[in-house]
Amino acid sequence: MFGYNVTLAIKSMRRNPMMTALMIAAVAVGIGVSMTTLSVYYMMSGNPIPQKSEKLFAVTLDAWNPIRPFDSNKPELPPHQVTFQDADRLLALAEGKRQVAMYESSLVVEPRNEDELPFEATARVTSGDFFAMFDVPFLHGDGWDRSSDAAAEAVVVLTKQLNERLFGGKNSVGEWLTMGGSRFQITGVIDTWEPTPRFYDPINGGFQEVNEMFIPFGLTRSLELDSNGSDWGWKSEDISSFGDWLNSEAIWLQYFVELESARDRDSFVAHLDAYAEEQKKLGRFQRPLNNRLYDVMEWMDYHEVVANDSSVLLGLSFLFLVVCLLSTITLLLTKFIGKKGETSLRRALGASRRIIFRQQIVEVAVIGFSGGLIGLALAFLGLQGIQYVYQSPPGLIRLDWVIVLTAIVAAIVSSMVAGLYPAWRVCQVPPATQLKTQ
Amino acid sequence: MGIGPMVSSLLRNKTGPLLVALQIAVTLAIVINSLFIVLQRIEKMSRDTGIDVDNVIVANVRGFGDDFDVADSIRNDIDLLKSIPGVSAATVTNAVPLSGGGSGTGLRTVADETIDAASAGRYQWSEEGLDAFGIELSRGRNFYPEEVHYNLPTDDTPAPASVLVTQELADALFPDEDALGKAVYWGSMEQSTIVGIIGHMHGSWVGWDKLGSVVVQPGKPGRTTNTYIVRVEPGMRDGLLPVIEQQLGESNRKRVVNSVRSLEEIAARSYRRDRGMAIILGVVITLLIGLTALVIVGLSSFHVTQRTRQIGTRRALGARRRDIVKQFMLENWIVTTAGALLGTLLTVAVAYWLETSFSLPRLDWTLLPAGILTLWVLSTLAVIEPARRAASVPPAIATRSV
Repeated sequence: MFGYNVTLAIKSMRRNPMMTALMIAAVAVGIGVSMTTLSVYYMMSGNPIPQKSEKLFAVTLDAWNPIRPFDSNKPELPPHQVTFQDADRLLALAEGKRQVAMYESSLVVEPRNEDELPFEATARVTSGDFFAMFDVPFLHGDGWDRSSDAAAEAVVVLTKQLNERLFGGKNSVGEWLTMGGSRFQITGVIDTWEPTPRFYDPINGGFQEVNEMFIPFGLTRSLELDSNGSDWGWKSEDISSFGDWLNSEAIWLQYFVELESARDRDSFVAHLDAYAEEQKKLGRFQRPLNNRLYDVMEWMDYHEVVANDSSVLLGLSFLFLVVCLLSTITLLLTKFIGKKGETSLRRALGASRRIIFRQQIVEVAVIGFSGGLIGLALAFLGLQGIQYVYQSPPGLIRLDWVIVLTAIVAAIVSSMVAGLYPAWRVCQVPPATQLKTQ
Repeated sequence: MGIGPMVSSLLRNKTGPLLVALQIAVTLAIVINSLFIVLQRIEKMSRDTGIDVDNVIVANVRGFGDDFDVADSIRNDIDLLKSIPGVSAATVTNAVPLSGGGSGTGLRTVADETIDAASAGRYQWSEEGLDAFGIELSRGRNFYPEEVHYNLPTDDTPAPASVLVTQELADALFPDEDALGKAVYWGSMEQSTIVGIIGHMHGSWVGWDKLGSVVVQPGKPGRTTNTYIVRVEPGMRDGLLPVIEQQLGESNRKRVVNSVRSLEEIAARSYRRDRGMAIILGVVITLLIGLTALVIVGLSSFHVTQRTRQIGTRRALGARRRDIVKQFMLENWIVTTAGALLGTLLTVAVAYWLETSFSLPRLDWTLLPAGILTLWVLSTLAVIEPARRAASVPPAIATRSV
């Protein structure tokens, strides 16, 4: 019976090719546009580390200017980064399961092959806990432990891409690499790891590519590493050496801690407050006690990682889908009215209302399905276009299976909803009257 | 046939026209709000930067190794750049306007930390900086060469005696007085004197509301990474980009050339979100208007076919072709107007949602009548052909089939 319905539906669709094409186009364009914007929104609002996003916390401390808050629009919040001196001391106290202090820097890599030119590569300067804390997958070797941090050992973990460039992709663990005049030993190579959004550093860009390598935080002082990221300061300080810079009140580091339970969270905040109280005695932390933790999704909200533009586009494109569906309803209605004669005939020959209704709904579903498929192709093109105009890293925004499924289901369901009223209207056609007038 | 019978005819068969009116309403709401966003982005992108963006090249280099001498490298690089034919000026700078990266500062007119400071983008360049960027000084003087020193991370450099400020910053600092020759204080409470006023220039962050607020110090900042600004003769930029990259690369192997790009490309990167939004919404508007127009055409044609007998009857009873065309036009006009009225309400609702949820600026209301007018014209155009076809139905049709 269903097969017969589909055959009839296709026959009916071919009788009015322009009308049918217009309906399919309406569904396709609506699905294409809304799925494109939904994919972008879905990518931006996704949880980058779902397995432990509730156990990882960004740490913020209020060691800011006693006279005015960090952000006058949100005076109740502490600054969003921490000073080097606080990061360094909190790392040494090692409270909590794991913790990392970090920032982005860059180093000049000198390839061992004399013919190749040196090049600059970005590095995340971070503590050894980084890899275990953020579930970073390794291809070869491993990270480094806390003792390497403390001893400022020159070790490095490469990304798959950099290892490909320098060593042709072979296992390079144990090899030496000259960077910025210093020799680094490679301890590991990580596999592809692209948390989206880049939750651990939204301040310097939530959708940037992951840095090309990782080196120990302890090297900051000995190599006098500069940060590539943004820094903020408030105090007039005499900074004439790198040591002065590290001891200043400027904020430029991100600090994360991993905690197992709500109780651990409370005790960590207490630990931060105790630290701040101690610093108050030294004349720092002059503002009221205000140290806060944010889990990963709270941190994404805080930094408004989902761009307003993306939400606006999503809203407008769903209104657009409404227009497309209205078009479909209007077209269906006129088309079914045009079929009054045929329907009358079928009714006169014994077709029940239910059969007529089902026939209409099947026809609409076929239109919806075709529209959905073409819409998906349009969404694919749309995403290529978006990647082009925004110059986003390749593969950042993609049609994953959730979106594909949503698109097909949305197309069929919405066109069936659109077809309900027209189908009901058709069923009201009495069996014989329409035949009489012909 | 007057409006009365027509309205009652529309009301008798109300679902179809109601749906079209609804579609027109939602279309209007989306088009007006999207168009407003597009126009704003275009306006933002086409602001006057005060900089000769088309003829500026930005080179970024980085030295490495223990024996790297920053000041020496900068001196040689600037000499090299200026020796290239077609280059008219070159400077080293701490940051690049329009690039999205830079340094900000607060300036005060009195040395008191408790009062609010005027925010500004902070730049540092040599006496050739104004020429290198193509920025015009409106009053006062440029830096003297003897005021420009190397500023290395290891030096303990005091704040410079002379600074340039933009007119916008001058107005923020001294609303009622002439800023030229006045003293200003940095965050560290050190004092500088304003020696020149720049008529207008944009700073680094294109989304910042203080974009035109800039202070410039004399100096040649030397870091591990150095940025050069090179102004070239009009039309020579694209040819010189690879030349500069090659010559910088060959002149010193203890230095990596990170990038040599046009300022135009750098600025385009900063605006790409705005451009992207404008392009996407432009596509949406086009698709939407196209779809709605097609639906009106399709529907009108269908109605003509459906109502052949009615039209024939009217013609047989003495209606002229003109009357038939008028009937279809008027019907369409009623539906469009109903849609436009409902659409006005919807447009306001969507604008309110955008304004409150995303703090977008308030809708420019003059777009609404313009949008309604466009809709009228479009829907009239869409219905002309079907209406003509209707008018050509011969009167005999009506009598034939009875």
